[in-house]
Amino acid sequence: MATTKTTPRTRWNTLHKNGPFPLKFFLSTRLEKKSLMPDPIARYNDAAGEIQKQLLIAKNQHHGFRSIGARWSMSSIAHQKDRMHFTAHMNIKLSVHATDLHPNSPYQSDNIHVLQCGNTVKEVSFYLENRGKSLKASGASNGQTIAGCISTGVHGSGIDVGSVQDYVVGLNLILGPNPQDIVYLERHSKPALNNAFATKLNARVIRNDGLFNAALVGLGSFGFIHGVVIEAEDHYLLSRHVIKVKKADALALADSLDFKNSPIKIPSQTDAQGNPLRPYHYKVYINQYSNEDTVPVELIYKKPFDPNYKQTFGDPIPFMKEFVYRDLIYLLVKISEKFPRVIPKFVKALSQSILPKEDKVIVGKLSEIFWDAGYQGKAFACSFGIDHTHSSKALKVLTDLTKNEGPIPGIFAMRFIKQSDGLLSFAKFPFTCMVEIDGIIWEESKKIISLDQYAKRMIEVLQQHQIPFTIHWGKNADWGFPNLANHMFGADATKWMDYRSALLSQDMAALFSNEFLKKLNLHHYNAAADPTLIDNLLN
Amino acid sequence: MKASRYAKVLCVFLFLLIFSSCYSVRMKVSNGPGPELDDMTMEDEDEDEENEDPARGQLFRKIDTIITVKTTTDENPVNIRDCESGALHTIEYRSTFGGTLLYLATFGRKRKLKVTYVCVKEQN
Repeated sequence: MATTKTTPRTRWNTLHKNGPFPLKFFLSTRLEKKSLMPDPIARYNDAAGEIQKQLLIAKNQHHGFRSIGARWSMSSIAHQKDRMHFTAHMNIKLSVHATDLHPNSPYQSDNIHVLQCGNTVKEVSFYLENRGKSLKASGASNGQTIAGCISTGVHGSGIDVGSVQDYVVGLNLILGPNPQDIVYLERHSKPALNNAFATKLNARVIRNDGLFNAALVGLGSFGFIHGVVIEAEDHYLLSRHVIKVKKADALALADSLDFKNSPIKIPSQTDAQGNPLRPYHYKVYINQYSNEDTVPVELIYKKPFDPNYKQTFGDPIPFMKEFVYRDLIYLLVKISEKFPRVIPKFVKALSQSILPKEDKVIVGKLSEIFWDAGYQGKAFACSFGIDHTHSSKALKVLTDLTKNEGPIPGIFAMRFIKQSDGLLSFAKFPFTCMVEIDGIIWEESKKIISLDQYAKRMIEVLQQHQIPFTIHWGKNADWGFPNLANHMFGADATKWMDYRSALLSQDMAALFSNEFLKKLNLHHYNAAADPTLIDNLLN
Repeated sequence: MKASRYAKVLCVFLFLLIFSSCYSVRMKVSNGPGPELDDMTMEDEDEDEENEDPARGQLFRKIDTIITVKTTTDENPVNIRDCESGALHTIEYRSTFGGTLLYLATFGRKRKLKVTYVCVKEQN
């Protein structure tokens, strides 16, 4: 039997120490040993039973319950003051056969994989690579769990690929402690698995595009995500190039994403006419304190897999990874708190180490290009989703704020992602530019504004300049800003709450809520939500 | 005068000896399914707030002992028994001055073993 260890606690923190946050109980579930229960589906269902048991305990005690993965989010999205449940030991992986697919499924069975919630991106990549497959995209690193990724909308910079949730084709949710509370959810327009497979998981099936898209980026509040069904693809290589280009050209390209007619060109990455190819990934780095008219850009191109790539291009993973000595950064931040005027000089001095260098081309698998990040210290990151046509305007507004009301110890970058179907995905524009500032957490002083104040001002200046935006759910922001969710998502925010209300009972909706949801006014339960919202639209 | 110069040279020699014999090297497997995570430090209460280890959040285990090598011991390895996955992800070997001294003083019979390691996450 799967077992859960429950420990009384007083506090909890994120990996990047953005808390601490108060906590009553910390829970960690371990699966039954393989030797005692060799059938992975039996072990998966056994774990589902254990989760339902834990949900019943929480419900009976009128406690909230929230799962956490690798605690990478810097916002308080993962926090629940009553019960927090650690899922990383729940990492069953199930392959799918052709006989498991729905008759209308557009997918190849060898691309479909069922992943239990606690699988990390790194272990999923390893599992897929052993089958000649790959994830379609990941974040900049690989430590997040798959359920954590989709709940917070983790994205990379796959211009025509999208975020992690965009290759999810099915969700196995546990909505409560009763037998009918295990649900398998997928799109009716693109079903993946058949009813017989769902029956193996003891799940009732709902095929419904609207509901699926609402649950896809569920902010950890659409029930317990027990399993995620993904579509992988044949393994491929990525060819990474870093070049310095004119800042004006880099920003013009950000606004247009018209790579073919851009002066930014990698000689080896052109078509037969000599025009630049459209890359898999485009990223612009900007030191807002520098007056240089050039900036480094990162262009990554997708290539067919070649088993001899390491012999041809060398190992993409360095023998030893270079890093900036962390204590030095902390010392600089401490000095900055007293003398903020030195921040631009410090950022400039460190930019040699922080910004990517124009070095040789790196070729590797997705898992090698977006490799281990490790713990980067007490970090903050603010990340806004903007329609890419507003990229340069939004960047100017935010960098001006950072220079004029800061300075802030961080550095900007821009990445680009395809629109997501997730109802509350921050990749909501046809192509979303994620304008982000990453840096080291500092203490507020008389001479430097606080992170909270800075985050609030970022929202205000974007609103003043009438630039529509979203915010990355897992990053730092002024989440209590008045009417924020409505401003970002309009009617979709209400629609999301209606879907949630239709799917969950009122007591379970309260159990899966947290302070983060309340701050955003996304916790409301609509008892009159249309029950047909959760109809199964395809058998 | 001469004695104090010798003392200084001796101090410098000892300083170099002590510091050159105190170091650690951490190695990790670059591919594979990744490290086992530590659900205790995930709670944060037991965790040192000042812990800035880049591998923070991973389940570190330690061996800190002195092994005695006999003529019959041959070259048998020290067995690590608590990796359920059966594989190591990270290993950090620490060399100390005391350990080096012990090795020299006992002609290699006693060896200080100070190792920290992280297992590979068990795959299901």
